Amino acid sequence: MDRAELTRLLVRLKDGDREAFRPAFSILWPLLRAFTERYAGPGDAEDAAQAALIAVFARAAEFDETRDGAAWALGIAAWECRTLRRRRQRRREEPATSGARKCAASDEMQGAPERASWSDSPEDTALSRELRRCVQQVLGELRPLDVETLLAFGTKSGATYRKRFSRAVARFRMAWRARHGND
Amino acid sequence: METTDLERRARRAYELGRLSQALRVVPWVLLPAAVALLCGRPAGLVFALCTAALAVSMALLIRGGMAGRSVGPGLAAGWAALLPPLLLRTAGHACFGDSCMALGLPVCAAAGALSGILIGRVVLLRGGGAASWIGAGVLAGLTGAMGCSIGGTFGILGMIAGVVAGSAPVLVLARPGR
Repeated sequence: MDRAELTRLLVRLKDGDREAFRPAFSILWPLLRAFTERYAGPGDAEDAAQAALIAVFARAAEFDETRDGAAWALGIAAWECRTLRRRRQRRREEPATSGARKCAASDEMQGAPERASWSDSPEDTALSRELRRCVQQVLGELRPLDVETLLAFGTKSGATYRKRFSRAVARFRMAWRARHGND
Repeated sequence: METTDLERRARRAYELGRLSQALRVVPWVLLPAAVALLCGRPAGLVFALCTAALAVSMALLIRGGMAGRSVGPGLAAGWAALLPPLLLRTAGHACFGDSCMALGLPVCAAAGALSGILIGRVVLLRGGGAASWIGAGVLAGLTGAMGCSIGGTFGILGMIAGVVAGSAPVLVLARPGR
């Protein structure tokens, strides 16, 4: 990637030269994709790169020609990554606090406490912690035998255990719905 | 998402960005209109001229290039054509009949010529071409007309003639090969 060429193209775009659009696009897209993959992670890279590309072109008219074009575009991309991460965080917090996660019970049974290692990001850690807290509250309302049965998942087998486990899961679900609703 | 779809969205974002940038000119067009209204120019005429000046400014800024760069000089030169007739009116000159032709018309033409010289110089300094000259001239004419309407149609025509007469020689003298 030629940084000077990108700067020249952005200067031309600022001046209203539409001919510079396509070459600028073909330089910016791979640059922003590579950056967002490193900065936002593979899951969010595509969305972040698209948002960044749109933002770069939307702000092309205010590009300062004394600046380096690549640094300017990557600054916008970094900002878009942060915005996307914050938006995702807000979206995840809402269902977690309203207890709308249907999969919570089964997640816990399959070892949700270890799920903090899904991602290193602080929002995932906070989400996992919140989920664990909800599950522990519901478990506290069950009979000790049901709790013991659920926590023994994966270590015991046999027809008797499977029946007890099935009944314990049904009671867990009932308690979860009573506390957090059906959604 | 297909790259072509993304490219289309990026293009739209680029054009919207230019529109948003062009909107920043609005106060600079409204200001001379407000001054003209304060000096007693008819609201309907000022509104029409202001709307036209705004449309031309925004179109030129969105278009960009030499045409876009002519907006600033055009509006600035418009002040030179706008203020003298308004000052004349504020000083107590009653512009009607022969007295208007004797004083109002020459003032409008002189103001237009001053405006034209300013446009010519700026266009030369910036290396602008015909598009730049026409763009700046039209904007200066529309802005100046808010003040020169004091002399009626002849006042406006005199001012326009002044703009052309003031800027054309500067441009002709600076033609390449001379």
